[in-house]
Amino acid sequence: MEKPQYNTDIVKSFVHWSVLWGLVAVLVGVIVSIQMTNPEMNFPPYLTFGRLRPIHTNAGIFGWGVGVIFATFFYIVQRLCKVRLWSDKLAKFQLYFFNTTITASAVTLILGFTTSKEYHEMEWPIDLMIIILWVTFAINIIMTIIKRKEEQMYISLWYMLAAIVGVAILFLVNSAAVPVSFFKSYSAFAGTNDANVQWWFGHNAVAMVLTAPPLAMFYYFLPKSTGVPIYSHKISIISFWSLIFMYLWTGAHHLLWTPVPDWIQTLAMAFSIMLIAPSWGSVINGYLSMKGQWHQMRENYLVKFLILGITFYGLQTLQGPMQSIRSFSAFIHFTDWVPAHIHMGTMGWVSMVCFASIYFLVPRIYGKELYSIRLANLHFWLALTGQLLWSISLWIAGVLQAGMWNAMNPDGSLTYTFMETMVEMYPYWWVRTIGGTLFMLGVIVFIYNLFKTAHNGEKTASLAATAEGRA
Amino acid sequence: MDLGSILYLGVTFGLFVIFAAIVIRTYSRKNRDKNETAKYRMLDDD
Repeated sequence: MEKPQYNTDIVKSFVHWSVLWGLVAVLVGVIVSIQMTNPEMNFPPYLTFGRLRPIHTNAGIFGWGVGVIFATFFYIVQRLCKVRLWSDKLAKFQLYFFNTTITASAVTLILGFTTSKEYHEMEWPIDLMIIILWVTFAINIIMTIIKRKEEQMYISLWYMLAAIVGVAILFLVNSAAVPVSFFKSYSAFAGTNDANVQWWFGHNAVAMVLTAPPLAMFYYFLPKSTGVPIYSHKISIISFWSLIFMYLWTGAHHLLWTPVPDWIQTLAMAFSIMLIAPSWGSVINGYLSMKGQWHQMRENYLVKFLILGITFYGLQTLQGPMQSIRSFSAFIHFTDWVPAHIHMGTMGWVSMVCFASIYFLVPRIYGKELYSIRLANLHFWLALTGQLLWSISLWIAGVLQAGMWNAMNPDGSLTYTFMETMVEMYPYWWVRTIGGTLFMLGVIVFIYNLFKTAHNGEKTASLAATAEGRA
Repeated sequence: MDLGSILYLGVTFGLFVIFAAIVIRTYSRKNRDKNETAKYRMLDDD
């Protein structure tokens, strides 16, 4: 079979931009965490917590997360299908449009234009841009899969397709709005329906952006890094379909104890618990794929990132369902426990897998060995320590906060005022800032290592073939 | 039970049937080995 000439340039471009947006996300994250401990660091109207926080989340999820998705999917789809990307021009257009959209989002958010829907803050003109961007991406990936030369589809392709279809449906439905001016619109849904649709979107954005794509990457880059296949393709297929069937029902667990009908809350709770099974199907598949290969945890920095990543995924998918139980949710909802949970997912699971993927890609798109494995290991420990400090401090803070909020005197009055509970949070918020700063230092080390690889890395023939798209 | 509830249950049941069919197909004697070939093929040199 004639070897296809793969498009590597587009992968390289998306790697560059996603890393840049990743740095923006963590930098703004550290700034907003300092604004919590030092409120005088808010500079109205533009540089306040309220304006910067959505920039942090959107740069993180859509700039960093989706940027890496674009880079890795373009790399993976060509190799798993053994054909070149369907359209180079479309991919190039997507690259420019991606950066325009992210920039427009950041500018409008800092100016205060927002729908106030979490993770969907951008106003309708940017929604339209996101739809164009996603359709462009979807066409290119789907057409590449259609013209593939491999008969059987490897599991990563299934996760990629799910992400593409899932994001499209979620985004279209939650974008339904009535524009009243160029920068203002009102949701097409009202009251509890609006809340229900919003959290159906919100939680499934986690599924289709922060779960399915990292699993696609994990299933591709783990065997490529270890050199041995995954334990079971059948388990991966069953985990995939059960995840897809179950995930879409869970959004209402964000709305426990609200006016949303009780049965919807119970349904979401039940499906959230059931979701442990497919999630752990992938975790166990990952661990069993390491059978006889655990020594690579010491020797192979890529494996270290990937296995820690899947471990955090396992912990995340146990903690999440626990939080969706009514009684537990009543205790920890609205406390600092929740951001700690989210950051275990984003910093621990998603970012670890994204870091590993980029470390795998960069030597292959530049045709050079990684500049420094020691720096990659340093990055790993900075990321891990930073993430653990971040999450553990806020889990403790969340329990303390919930305890104080619920404490009552014998006469039924509250033991603590809200301000007293806030004051207790300060030490934990400082630890969070330290954790975030360590994580950011890790990202700086990561970028330095990539930069040096591109400019000073040692050239090798086999990597050069990949860089030129011949392998 | 109103029409909406019946429809809701019907869709749920339909999804369950589809899922069961996928499991049966994946683990059927005919496809059991074939389903594992992809994990070896992906390791081939690109």
